[in-house]
Amino acid sequence: MNQAETPAIRIAGMSVRYGRRVAVDAASLEVPRGSVYALLGRNGAGKSSLVRCALGQQRASGGHAEVLGEDSWKHRTRLMERIGVVAEEADAPPEMRVHQLARFCASLYSRWDEKTFDVRLGRFGIAPRARFGDLSKGQKKQVSLALALATGPELIVLDDPTLGLDVVARKSLFEEVIADLADRGTTIFLTTHDLAGVEGIADRVAIMSGGRIVLDEELEALKGRFRRIRFAAQPLALEAASFRTAMVRRWGTGTEAIVSNYDDLTFERLRTNATIQSADVSAMSLEEIFIAVTGEGGNS
Amino acid sequence: MFDINATDAAPIWRQIEEGMRRMIALGALKPGDSVPSVRDLAQQLRVNPNTVARAYQRLTEHGVFAVRRGEGTFVADEPSQPKRSERNEVLRDASNRYASAAISVGASLDDAVDELNSSFDKLVREHRRKV
Repeated sequence: MNQAETPAIRIAGMSVRYGRRVAVDAASLEVPRGSVYALLGRNGAGKSSLVRCALGQQRASGGHAEVLGEDSWKHRTRLMERIGVVAEEADAPPEMRVHQLARFCASLYSRWDEKTFDVRLGRFGIAPRARFGDLSKGQKKQVSLALALATGPELIVLDDPTLGLDVVARKSLFEEVIADLADRGTTIFLTTHDLAGVEGIADRVAIMSGGRIVLDEELEALKGRFRRIRFAAQPLALEAASFRTAMVRRWGTGTEAIVSNYDDLTFERLRTNATIQSADVSAMSLEEIFIAVTGEGGNS
Repeated sequence: MFDINATDAAPIWRQIEEGMRRMIALGALKPGDSVPSVRDLAQQLRVNPNTVARAYQRLTEHGVFAVRRGEGTFVADEPSQPKRSERNEVLRDASNRYASAAISVGASLDDAVDELNSSFDKLVREHRRKV
């Protein structure tokens, strides 16, 4: 099969059960090559189980996972050479110095690029002679990312890369991801809570809730179809235009609604109806859309 | 340079395109000036480089930018202005949205025009400062 056409990750009908508890429920998704794909979900939504199975670190109870065109479980050893992973908790022997870690990785990866590692490390301001155990949580992640980038991977998997990082560390981590994209176009798959952080960076997002993938689409399309609309009339006006609502709230005689299939043309037609003339239509941030889709975090 | 607003209804690539056109129209970028590389602007605005590349491609196709191989991207010697019909369409579209927002909060036409004036002044001033 043509390499460019096989997705970087393909998960089909994957389920993960722990005893009677279902952590991942028939999840399917495809991560296109060269994309930045963000898997969003609250704690316990099933993200980490899904990622571990995709990486062949754990065997799914059902379904199928493929990475770079190969079965993630059967070919897990071979695949590790082609994937860079930044785990939720970056881990290495605390006594080892950063440059020793780099030498160790260089011996494992045939495509190891020393210069990439030095440049990234320099931008993070971490001394090569520093002991891993003395680094802060954020610095450990930065080292882990620099190591992952230097192995020349076709795919980078970041499991909650900004968890526990301060604003500055978060910013420099995403900047490094952007720089790598500009340089090489590596496919990036990340799970995150940091919705604002991935807003401009992700091409595609999926939302996981209760073990299920409830949404999987291009970020631009997603942001294009969600709108918050406020107007001084009954909600019926929206139904007449066949708008689907993710949330409806009444304010006296007025209405506030979140519409999930907005388009300008339909709305302009609706506006000619005098009752909805002075509607206020606003675009929504990824965070607001996330809350509307999962029905979580709000008071609805 | 300019800011990207995540809650703006316009896609990010369009905000970049408009931002660049605005800087040229206000003289903050002059014909022949070099513009930041895709990589640098992506890092500065914290957006996906593909998004910046898309905006640059459109600006190049429309004759606003010129690419000199090996040297980078520059503002064209005579950057093309949007056609009058295009400009009117953009203005009508944006003013519909603005008028609707103004009416919904009960503002008078005078109030709305005052706000528009001060926004206009502010943007022009900001760009002048950066020249």
